[in-house]
Amino acid sequence: MLGPRADDERKRIRLQFEAGVSARETVLSLCALADSSLQQIFAQVVRVHNAEAPGLSLLALGGYGRKLLFPYSDLDILFLFGSDKAENEYRPLISDFSRILWDLGFRVSSAGRTLEECKRIEADNAEFHLALLDRRFLAGDSEVFEKLDTRILPTSEKQARPFLLAELDKLTRERLTRYGNTIFHLEPNVKEAPGGLRDFQAAVWLRQIAGERKETLKANAVEDELSLGAVDFLSAIRCFLHYSNARNDNTLTYELQAGAAERSLGVFDGVARNAAEWMRLYFRHARTLNRQLLRNLEQKAVLPQSLTKRFFSAARGAKIEPDDGRPFVVRDGLFEVLDQSAMSDRAVTFGLFTEAARAGTPLSRRAERGIAYIMKHPELTVRNPEISWPALREILGADYPGVALRPMQRLGLLTEVLPEFARIDSLVVRDFYHRYTVDEHSLRTIEHLQELADPPDARGVNFQTLWKTIDRRDLLIFSLLLHDIGKGMNVENHVAGSLQALDTAAARLHLSEEEKTEVHFLIEHHLDMSATVQRRDIFDPSTISAFAGMVSNQERLQRLCLLTYADIHAVNPEALTPWKADMLWQLFVATSNHFSRTLDRDRLHVHDEVLLLDQVAAHSRAAGTVEIERFLEGFPRRYLAVHSPAEIASHFVLYRGLAQQSVQTDLRQTGSAFSLTLLTADRPALFSTIAGVLAGWGMNIIKADAFANAGGVVLDTFHFTDLHRTFEMNPTEIERFRVNLAEIVNGKLPLEPLLRSRDVASRARPPKVAVDARTTFDQRSSDHSTLLEIMAQDRPGLLYDIGSTLARLGCNIEVALIDTEGQKVIDVFYLTEQGQKLTLAKQESLGQALQQNLNQ
Amino acid sequence: MMKLEAIIQPSRFESVKDALREVGIEGMTVTEVRGHGRQKGHTEVYRGREYTVDLLPKLKLEMVLPDKLVSTVVDTILKTAKTGKIGDGKIFLSRVDEAIRIRNEERGENAL
Repeated sequence: MLGPRADDERKRIRLQFEAGVSARETVLSLCALADSSLQQIFAQVVRVHNAEAPGLSLLALGGYGRKLLFPYSDLDILFLFGSDKAENEYRPLISDFSRILWDLGFRVSSAGRTLEECKRIEADNAEFHLALLDRRFLAGDSEVFEKLDTRILPTSEKQARPFLLAELDKLTRERLTRYGNTIFHLEPNVKEAPGGLRDFQAAVWLRQIAGERKETLKANAVEDELSLGAVDFLSAIRCFLHYSNARNDNTLTYELQAGAAERSLGVFDGVARNAAEWMRLYFRHARTLNRQLLRNLEQKAVLPQSLTKRFFSAARGAKIEPDDGRPFVVRDGLFEVLDQSAMSDRAVTFGLFTEAARAGTPLSRRAERGIAYIMKHPELTVRNPEISWPALREILGADYPGVALRPMQRLGLLTEVLPEFARIDSLVVRDFYHRYTVDEHSLRTIEHLQELADPPDARGVNFQTLWKTIDRRDLLIFSLLLHDIGKGMNVENHVAGSLQALDTAAARLHLSEEEKTEVHFLIEHHLDMSATVQRRDIFDPSTISAFAGMVSNQERLQRLCLLTYADIHAVNPEALTPWKADMLWQLFVATSNHFSRTLDRDRLHVHDEVLLLDQVAAHSRAAGTVEIERFLEGFPRRYLAVHSPAEIASHFVLYRGLAQQSVQTDLRQTGSAFSLTLLTADRPALFSTIAGVLAGWGMNIIKADAFANAGGVVLDTFHFTDLHRTFEMNPTEIERFRVNLAEIVNGKLPLEPLLRSRDVASRARPPKVAVDARTTFDQRSSDHSTLLEIMAQDRPGLLYDIGSTLARLGCNIEVALIDTEGQKVIDVFYLTEQGQKLTLAKQESLGQALQQNLNQ
Repeated sequence: MMKLEAIIQPSRFESVKDALREVGIEGMTVTEVRGHGRQKGHTEVYRGREYTVDLLPKLKLEMVLPDKLVSTVVDTILKTAKTGKIGDGKIFLSRVDEAIRIRNEERGENAL
């Protein structure tokens, strides 16, 4: 069938497709049309050349070989020659044949090989060998084809299995990477993108090359049925795209999504869907194909091995890490489930995900399928179905939360814990900036953060320290899960919707008020840092001051900065340019420096803080606010920024206790660390004395701050770790510590014997990272004080030594901020001497004295 | 036809873009660039790490304009990108001999 008749037939096929004939029938009809056309032309050319074409065979390859010919697809054909002589003899015939095809408008992709050439593996052309797997005889000498099909290729394909498997694996992974390893593209390519038709074909090839046995094929029957449904759906889209674009363009654009949804393409349930709802169906099918491919990629080791190889692998066994009696184990770098029935206990399942998130070890596909089996069988009793916030926090706060959250989403466990997330499941939001669906974007933000453990490129280097040292990482990750939920809600502003989602999630999971406030802040302001970077002059101090005022403290700044980094990064691979990453970093640094350099500029005047006074009064059950005003007046504003009203109320209770006891302390365990709050009247060397007591008890100070109010009452907070587990092993020591601290601070006991009794062995431990000691004085940042910044190698007792030196040289600590990054100490002191800034001479002598201490 | 290149503060971009749209300029090429003229960089310290921010972030706008629009566009950029401080940027103008639209091979100002 040629010329106008072929065109008529093509039109007929198209009309039938548009009238509702399935894509499967459409591609078969197109294939039959192409077959008959090619056979006819081949016969004509052979006739013209007066040859019967012995030794020449025409083959269909690839998709055409599989009888899947889409409207504007190329025809992959092979001229197969019985010998070199035949190849030379048929050159003019092939030339005529190709010209006629071209003139008739066929898009042909042709190759020529002799039988001898087909025996050889072309190492740089794996695609050709893969296309040969789908060979089909079209015309010419059938004996030549038979020889290739039954004698030559079965042997050479068997020999080439390792090569073909490796190449297919490589080509597939390269393709998936090219599309960001996700099916969730807003305008997906239905052929090449993950979840596209190429995924299905690659999975079929993997099984074919690995020589999958019939019984394995049967075991996959259910999955195959799902896959075939997905293939039909995607084939319908591909036919539609070809007809709509009048070319081989497989991109499902926004415009065509709307067209496809309008005609309910590939859907037969009679339900009308808008484009976004129809795309959710697309993503479900794409997910089926992608999962099948990934499973096959993981299992390609079913490849038969030589006897020697089998012997050695049996002798070596899989690399298994000890399981400690748990129903899961790490095998060859992946978590495997040993006892599937144990997975019906959600506490165990979440235990597995917690381990995965801590170690960054993914679950194997088999483990996921084991859990999926439990999830899909409601008749199996689920134990401990309710997951508490502390259990979820373990996952969110780990080093690799994305390693757990990704499979949790695939398995439906994420929406079980956080039903709000279902609102953005496979949700397409139409803009030209985002590349991924909203759920995919949200999970990617988290994965970009966990990559900061070892940044894959220069953009992440500056942010690495922030990720490693962040406080309450769980709140940041929780905010990222929720920050765009509003996009799936019928609200004008998605931020407002996301905050509504936080309300329900926080109530269900029982977040504390402080936790909810922090998450609320991050969601509410998740666009603000990015907007400041792009729309404000970040080199203008007033911009920094206003931004710092909005953020209010360093901890929030760190979380907001990481959130912004991740949020921009997960929009599309190019969104976070090095330029933008640098701007973001500079805004972070400028704001962070603003916090540490302007501490005593803004002091608290309580008559401006009516609401706070009432809140503190309510929390502390105080009769009035006069005493609270006296307590708060004159504290640096940072004090409000880092403490909640409830915490301030508890400090106020301590303040009231000063009338009975001159040193008030509050010691609490916070996770693996302790926090000590001490209130007392200011006195010389107070800060260094407390630091000395902690050092004497073997405690490692990781963070501290010291504030004083207008009445000379000092409030010092120390966060420390108990290096020798003294408090854990001997809880009674906690009370002895309090008494000992109060007595030393009050001067009833000397500090030196305690310090001497501390085992000096710990001082001798070599540092893991060498940090050069450095002191810097800054006279400009504060109106009243000299700022001293110290960077040094951390060691037990260092803060005591610094504090003692300051006290010895008559320096008064107005404010102190103590921080550590691993073994690096970063301290900022606001110092005065007799109410004035330090003189240059004093700075010099202090600098020298400190250098001696720091270099010890 | 003139080619206009403007180096502006990133923070002024939205205003410049909106103002250009109002005078009928929709198309432009925007590039993220770093550099400095008389506005030198500064030294910043963060946690003991000192670094010099000597190349400041700027945006470069490029557009080719028909002669009759050049002065309007220049005025618009001057008005909206100016803060009066050092570092506001610069505008460069150069003559363009020819423009060709690849799709239909139109030439001259019709191709803009």
